[in-house]
Amino acid sequence: MRHLLAVAAGLAVLAASACSAPVPPRSDTVPSAKPTGPATLPAPTGDHPVGTTALYLTDTSRPDPWNLDADARELKVTLWYPTEQRDGERAPYMTPEESELVLKGSKIAAIPFDALSRTRTNAFKDAKPAGRRLPLVVLSPGFTKPVSTLTSLAEDLASRGYVVAGIDHTYESYATTLADGRVAECLACDSDTDPGFGPLVVQGRAADVSYVLDRLPSRWDGSRVLDLSRIAMVGQSIGGAGAIAAMVKDPRVRAGIDMDGTTYARIPKSGFSRPFMFMGSPQHTVGGRDPSWDRDWKLLTGWKRWLVLSGAEHQSFTDGPLLTGAYGVEPAYGVMAAARSSELTRTYVAAFLDRHLKSQPRPLLDKPSSRYPEVTFCPATCDRS
Amino acid sequence: MNAVRAAAAGLALLLAAACTAPTPPRSHASAPGGTVCAPPQKPPEAETPTTIDVIEQAYFCILGTYYSGSTLDARSLLLAGFVALTRELNRNGHDLPEATMPALAGDRKADWAAFETAYRKITDQVPDLRDTLAVVTLEALVAALGDDHASWAHGGGERPPGYYDGDGYGLGLQASVYGPQLDGNPGVALPPLFVTTVQGGAARAAGLRPGDVIEAVNGSAPFIDGEPTPAIPALYPRYPEARPVRLRLLRRTTGRRWSVTLKPGLYQRNLAELQVVQSKLLDDGVAYVRMRGFAPDSADRVLKAIARLREGRTLSGVVLDLRGNGGGSPTEAVRLVSAFVHGKATAYTCAVDGTCQALRTDDTVELVGLPLMALTDRGCASACEHFSSAAKDLGFGRLIGTRTAGVISGPAQSYLLRNNTMLSLPARHHLGPDREVIDRIGVAPDHYVPTTPKDAAAGRDPVLAKALTLLHQ
Repeated sequence: MRHLLAVAAGLAVLAASACSAPVPPRSDTVPSAKPTGPATLPAPTGDHPVGTTALYLTDTSRPDPWNLDADARELKVTLWYPTEQRDGERAPYMTPEESELVLKGSKIAAIPFDALSRTRTNAFKDAKPAGRRLPLVVLSPGFTKPVSTLTSLAEDLASRGYVVAGIDHTYESYATTLADGRVAECLACDSDTDPGFGPLVVQGRAADVSYVLDRLPSRWDGSRVLDLSRIAMVGQSIGGAGAIAAMVKDPRVRAGIDMDGTTYARIPKSGFSRPFMFMGSPQHTVGGRDPSWDRDWKLLTGWKRWLVLSGAEHQSFTDGPLLTGAYGVEPAYGVMAAARSSELTRTYVAAFLDRHLKSQPRPLLDKPSSRYPEVTFCPATCDRS
Repeated sequence: MNAVRAAAAGLALLLAAACTAPTPPRSHASAPGGTVCAPPQKPPEAETPTTIDVIEQAYFCILGTYYSGSTLDARSLLLAGFVALTRELNRNGHDLPEATMPALAGDRKADWAAFETAYRKITDQVPDLRDTLAVVTLEALVAALGDDHASWAHGGGERPPGYYDGDGYGLGLQASVYGPQLDGNPGVALPPLFVTTVQGGAARAAGLRPGDVIEAVNGSAPFIDGEPTPAIPALYPRYPEARPVRLRLLRRTTGRRWSVTLKPGLYQRNLAELQVVQSKLLDDGVAYVRMRGFAPDSADRVLKAIARLREGRTLSGVVLDLRGNGGGSPTEAVRLVSAFVHGKATAYTCAVDGTCQALRTDDTVELVGLPLMALTDRGCASACEHFSSAAKDLGFGRLIGTRTAGVISGPAQSYLLRNNTMLSLPARHHLGPDREVIDRIGVAPDHYVPTTPKDAAAGRDPVLAKALTLLHQ
């Protein structure tokens, strides 16, 4: 939770003078009696089968922001897209090494260390892309997370006719396998309590996104299916904060969604008129502990929404609850079931993208829905909790 | 997948370890006062007004957990509180015939009851002043301890509207007198007062430069007969203070003398410079590492930076720049010392009865094995002085610059009060490796090298220059 981290960072700063006392670790969710096995991600809901492939890019125009010994920025991009292929090899969720690094780094002991490499996905590895003039969605994960933690959302969007470019922001995740097989670990984690860390991360993410947009047409042989005039960005946690940063810097990104991320990029005082949607857990309500959405909301001058999902927590917008739930880990008290948070995330993200990249009417975004009573529209009907 | 949350919790744990290090004083934990107040278990809820009940909780919290809480004359606290209370009444034009100090007999509970009765009688008559009176009284109670690591955090903490992580608030400058010299150990500042860094905001807009001598702040001299005056803290307004500050400046290089009015506000700072650990290789094979605080993991970050700069070359030494390092975790200080010496006590923490515990080096930390020059100034406080005194006493490094802050009474623990404000109190006091007091005295450098306005104006760093000279001898 970015803002919790920020709180921790704040404590650290306090500690410098007064040595303030800590937030104790929240007792983790407990495994129930009958563990099952690795997760199978929910089937995509759109009409198309899904393909996926990885792309490795190296930006030689700038040094890596975290690895002081790297004079270029290496990035791994995972693409998900519609395909006509109906069977074949499913893409792995992660490698066993990545799985272990991610689970150990996240201090998750409730599931086996190789669990994420055995998680079943729906996308066919290296399948041929199908379609034309498809809109593009850039996906950016939370801090310490590989972009594969957003696979369920990515596959669903691809099945609905989007090309999704998920970026692994190297050294900001517990594990990124680079082009030559080296596994980059989380060097940025060393400095994540520094003041100004959040702004530094989103500044780097914006640069990563622009570079990917620059190179995607020439470096991906499937790029003929793309309509590069229709690009949006969706991110969770600091990835969502990165969406604002990328949009401020790069006009090619026409619309964006921040899923539960405390924001760090400066929106120009003159305003910012491209469509934007905040979508968060109840921690991100109006006047809540994290003031960043209140600050940014005033500066958004175009189409905008601020949705709060009751019963959501920070990871509800990722595959996290699905992955641990498969091993019998129950959601914490008051937190919605994994299948439900996945459904809500997919539904509202798709509605936003359909509306703004495909110009399709989506009344779901205009008012509360009896089908999704968890979703509150802020600031109109949500108050300080 | 609670990675980040887990990370936050992990950090918090480290902090916990840091703040209670090395072992929680059992005697204090079981003292009666231990039940009056407890460390916060989660981020505190919204603050509520300070009342006499909060003051009572703080009073017994101090007596139960503070270093000398078991032996101090509790009447001194109540007296200090009453002095502040009557002073505030007067200041507001509301003096009352009943505002008389009650007789105290030396019994902590009975004296509190007498104090509370008098307090209520007074404050009931001035309901509009009730909150203010409670705040000044509690502030005075804590200040009466005369302990730079005893504090009461209340109010404030609120961010200015439009704040972004990393932003600064104020005039946008740092001067030669800053940090602990303002509140932690006032009285040690030396003239002249001059700008050392222009960080942004109003100071940058007004064209101030390093080396500009500040002759007056809001019309008052910063020093009178060599003694620092309250004009100096006015250079560093804190939100919501927003009154413009008028400076009279002298640029010695040109002889220009002029005045500017600077309005406090938010300003952007250079994000790279905010990083707690920064490092570079100086061209003559010296690893330069700047460490701004003893934050969680910072010792390992320093060691990683040295290891990285060392790869593929032979270094002649390490310069560790601790200027402005406000301290942090004693655990980190011990860890960093352990990279330069093994088998030693880095410090002692002592109870009021004189029994001390040694903080010992962690001899599993690999030794760096290079000459060390540590750059210090009056901004090096707390854990920074723990490290500096160890470097000097144990002989593994030389200190260059000016004396450290002298703000290291002992590691503080925070206690949550019932109105969600935080009281921080040390249970033990800190001594250096030779069992010497460092608090209020500071650690004297091996090589005294002050920085002058002329150096600042020219962008020269005589302290670093001296360190490099010594390394090459």
